[in-house]
Amino acid sequence: MHERLSFFVKRDSALHPLNPLTKIVLALGIILVSIFSPWYWTSHVLLLVVIVPLVFIGKVATEYFTSALRLILPAAGFIFFMQAFFQPIGQTVIFNFWFLDITQESLLFAFRIATRITVMISAFTLFLLTTHPSELMSDLTRRGLPPQFAYVIISTLQILPQMQAKAQTIIAAQRSRGLDTESTFFKRIGSVVPLVSPLVFGSLVEVEERAIAIEARGFTSKKAKTSLYEISDRSSDKFIRWGLVIFVIISIVLKLWLS
Amino acid sequence: MAFINLNNVTYKYPLTKTPALQNINLQVNEGEFVAIVGPNGAGKSTLCYTLAGFVPHFFKGEISGTVEVAGIDSSKSTLDKWVLNVGLAFQNPFNQISGAKYTVFEEIAFGLENTGVPRDEMKPRVEEAMKLTDISNLADRSPYSLSGGQQQRVALTSILVMRPKLLVLDEPTSQMDPIGTREVFGVIRKMAEGGMTVVMVEHKMEWIANFADRVVALKDGQVLMEGKPNEVLTSELLVENGFGVSRYTSTAREAKKQGLWKKEKLPVTLDEAVEGFKK
Repeated sequence: MHERLSFFVKRDSALHPLNPLTKIVLALGIILVSIFSPWYWTSHVLLLVVIVPLVFIGKVATEYFTSALRLILPAAGFIFFMQAFFQPIGQTVIFNFWFLDITQESLLFAFRIATRITVMISAFTLFLLTTHPSELMSDLTRRGLPPQFAYVIISTLQILPQMQAKAQTIIAAQRSRGLDTESTFFKRIGSVVPLVSPLVFGSLVEVEERAIAIEARGFTSKKAKTSLYEISDRSSDKFIRWGLVIFVIISIVLKLWLS
Repeated sequence: MAFINLNNVTYKYPLTKTPALQNINLQVNEGEFVAIVGPNGAGKSTLCYTLAGFVPHFFKGEISGTVEVAGIDSSKSTLDKWVLNVGLAFQNPFNQISGAKYTVFEEIAFGLENTGVPRDEMKPRVEEAMKLTDISNLADRSPYSLSGGQQQRVALTSILVMRPKLLVLDEPTSQMDPIGTREVFGVIRKMAEGGMTVVMVEHKMEWIANFADRVVALKDGQVLMEGKPNEVLTSELLVENGFGVSRYTSTAREAKKQGLWKKEKLPVTLDEAVEGFKK
């Protein structure tokens, strides 16, 4: 039952010891540059020259390419087809199906959008693979993020698999009492209520208990919080962050200037 | 002056008509181990929440009378300060795992992080607490991958590491097998012997008889009886009021009717029963 609770993989790489904020800025920087850059080939270059090498530097290639196959390709592929078929631009019809035209222009457009999506998801996957969630949250809390907010994010990540497991138990329990979950569509819709209500009400009760439990451990204490681990923030981190900010500004300026 | 001082405490949860606690008077000395027994709905958990400050600070509702722990009046304090003196652990170990941490070590340090304990002090304190509850070998595991008994010990350790003066336990062994129960009681006894004041709700009468200094029997939000474990747990009053009693007590009570139990006092534990039947 015990599943992996986050994307994070522990490796000894050059990327892992970077400050979590640096890695967020890196992901966001890549995404913003790919959005704002005036040239269509920027996304492709970012993917091949920045993201893929970083994946190898971070020693998370296996994990990255697995998730690329399972998550990124289907998402990008879907967007590619939707854009190719439904983008009403261009005259040069390459392929025609019923009332749908694929034109050269819509194909190019779809390719650009799909690459951009790939870049976005890849950048975030890279970030998630190399950043431990609790490190991220303690770093952000140290920088002034409200601890309640950090708690909600991180506990959701952990509690979701638990809820999934509980939902499976409830399904099994209700089915053993004769609930129909496998026949016609409408019958299945009907069986949602007896499945969802125990899950929701059960979770509400749990929330109260959990609130008491964390309160008992001083969660709302007004003292300045400390952190078990020291999270490094070297001058190289600041250098990388500002470098990325400058890159983003340059691409925005170029975009405004060239259009 | 007693360490815990409940004076005429009456409490009603919001939106309820009958009070969950009625005119509770309870004094507990520092270092004492008090067990609370009672049927469902007797107000045991509410009493725990009152001692731990959650009544009324968390649950709201109407409270009258005074609650004092370590000389501080609950109504004049706030929950975040109160929890520094009073630790609370309860039944379901799963819901006591914060969910914010990925390893047992981090989980136990959570309370220390929240209350601003410096980093250099944190590590030795966590290690010491884990040694006390004998879970050092679990340090790097995910708290969610543990068994119920292990989770309960992690939850207990997470409270002990904060070094409360009073430990309030609401049926901490109810979901445990005999081995887990023995382990948890072992830890609690160690704490009590080390001078910590312990108030514990528990159904396992034999354990109470072995460990507690005093037993308080609650019924319908009122104190029905209090005294030495053996006196309270073998009293007829408990049977009349539908309390569960130890199997050795009920066996000996039947045996007494048949003239097979010669002693005046009824037993609570196996040892006492064996002793008594030998005569």
